[in-house]
Amino acid sequence: MTHLALGLAGPHLIELAGNPALLARWEALPLAYTVLGIDRIDGSGPSPVTLDSSAIGASLAARTRQARFLIVASPQRDQPYNLARRVASLGHLSRGRSGVLFGAADAYAVPEPGGLPLTAATAIDAARVVRALEQSWPYDSVIGDRETGILVQSDRIVHIDHDGVYSVAGPLNVPEPPTGASLIAWYPTGPDDVVADSAPIDLIVGPGTLLRPVAGQSLAEILTDIESRAFTPVPPGPLRAALGLSAPARAVGGRPAFAVPAPNPSL
Amino acid sequence: MTDRRTGHVILGINVLVLGYLPAAWQSPLLAKDSFVDPAYWEGIGRTAERGTLDAIFLADGPALGDPAYDANPIKLEPTVNWGYVAGATSHVGLVSTASTTFNDPYELAQRLLSADVLSGGRVGWNIVTTRGAVSARNFGLADVPLRDDRYERASEFVDVATALWESAATGHDIHHHGEFFDVDGRLRVPPSAQGRPVLLQAGGSAKGRALAGRVAEGVFAAELTKQQAIEHYRLVKGYARDNGRSPDDVKILPGLLLSLGSTEEEAKRRSDELYDAGPASYSIGWLSQSIGYDASKLELDEPFPEDVLAAPADPQTFQGSIGFRESIVTQIRRTNPTVREYLKQTRYTGSGHAGFVGTPEQLADHIEDWFHAGAIDGFNLQPDVLADGLEVIADELVPILRRRGLYRHEYETTTLRGHFQAAAPTPAW
Repeated sequence: MTHLALGLAGPHLIELAGNPALLARWEALPLAYTVLGIDRIDGSGPSPVTLDSSAIGASLAARTRQARFLIVASPQRDQPYNLARRVASLGHLSRGRSGVLFGAADAYAVPEPGGLPLTAATAIDAARVVRALEQSWPYDSVIGDRETGILVQSDRIVHIDHDGVYSVAGPLNVPEPPTGASLIAWYPTGPDDVVADSAPIDLIVGPGTLLRPVAGQSLAEILTDIESRAFTPVPPGPLRAALGLSAPARAVGGRPAFAVPAPNPSL
Repeated sequence: MTDRRTGHVILGINVLVLGYLPAAWQSPLLAKDSFVDPAYWEGIGRTAERGTLDAIFLADGPALGDPAYDANPIKLEPTVNWGYVAGATSHVGLVSTASTTFNDPYELAQRLLSADVLSGGRVGWNIVTTRGAVSARNFGLADVPLRDDRYERASEFVDVATALWESAATGHDIHHHGEFFDVDGRLRVPPSAQGRPVLLQAGGSAKGRALAGRVAEGVFAAELTKQQAIEHYRLVKGYARDNGRSPDDVKILPGLLLSLGSTEEEAKRRSDELYDAGPASYSIGWLSQSIGYDASKLELDEPFPEDVLAAPADPQTFQGSIGFRESIVTQIRRTNPTVREYLKQTRYTGSGHAGFVGTPEQLADHIEDWFHAGAIDGFNLQPDVLADGLEVIADELVPILRRRGLYRHEYETTTLRGHFQAAAPTPAW
């Protein structure tokens, strides 16, 4: 037996958000994680309806205590700095139960004339930016020292100075979650999606690793199906720990974003 | 005056992370990392709802200022932050600031409408054009575009987003080909309980006010004097009418910085202690940025030189807020203080946004006065420290306003647009 991960399509997200009984059943399943909107990136979409992946993630972070999830992202009509903020914010608010699954293109997004090529190279570069930004501000630099008036040892926050497909200075404007940098997964869809340097990728997700509902299957039917299956339950806890993945390495020698803060004299 | 204005005011809270004063994080009610703690944010939502408040608001910018002494530069992403709070609340409106310079209209329209669906129709979007090269460098640019270009992009951005929200309801593709955006397609997100998110605008530049008159349903204004507030109130309501809208379709909500206490002395003591615990360089740094002049070069015990008060050389490249600068200069010209006097005096009266230090009863008097003067539809209240300041608003200010017939006893509407529409109509002028 292995653990079980689930991929939900757009219409399932609407059902999950709007039906407290289904939400409670989903929350009770000891799944490894659930992908919120797999049909954006796996070639099966678009479905008639969906929700933005980070929006449903934020809602589920508040309305559940155990469920783990991956939001879905692609570089299409998005910017890695904005995406990194949503990923890191979800990491804090879900207490480490969230991560992000990248694909090369978003089946729901309208074409972007003159945009970057929707390739693995673009998506992986965006993933690198997201990882570097999340790590640009170490959580333990937040000290809240009332004696010196120093809230953050801000000299430990670094620019990322990323210069790849994207050019991003950083740092991120929120610290790394206390549970560590968010899990980053990749969903390959074609032979050219081979990733030479997979540095930021913690997990490869594909049809073989994910339970995908068949076309037209409702959320209630999916949950009934899973409830009857034998699989290895994954106990509650942060996503990275649940999958037995260690914390990613941290780049060293970044350019400090701020001077060493001096103790703050009163007026 | 025989026709005294009737109906209720709108009350919003500008949640400046932990509070508008830099020393807010030192409150004994807070942990060192409350600004990213889900329990802190749930508490903000629940307390606002206990006071039947109309909306809570998050400012935003896609860059980090030095957080060494102050939690204000630390920002969870607003749509995620409020999306989380929406899951823990049922009535309060949730307004997120998002930049039209550094977002894509398709992505943002989809995200905001999704959040609106998930919250039961409580989402607002505060439309801003972002300032500053520091933000631009997070998006592969050396600097932000000039102000006029930013507002032209903002205007087209809002039109695209609005058309996409319409497409979500009709199921018909849009075909937009403009100066900044090409969008062929539609949103596949269902319409929300209020149809689509509420549009708000912040900023006092001429282009900003024109955009507000054309599309905004709420304006976060910066007003220091009642007379100036009345003028701007009529100006924006007039723009709305010029655009074929009712003046009631755009609600005017100036910011108001607050320190409250059970007596005026206690409130001043609270404010003084918070200022003294914060970094001294802050007020000078803030003034420098706001007036576009290095204030550390000013003689502290001399009045402001005239050339400093004159309009900035180039409004296209000035990095500060034109609305803030205008209200600060008006205030300085009125009393001609020395720089030191001005910096101290703004502890109690605010700078840029107006400030208020006093009791909940006195604050209710102030709100009532500006409301009946036709200067506001409501206020966006900015407590010095949210952790206890928001409780005083919900548990002390709101009951006073209710007794005076200026505020509702229970939520009577369920969406943010519903809350706005239920507020007092615009007085005749």
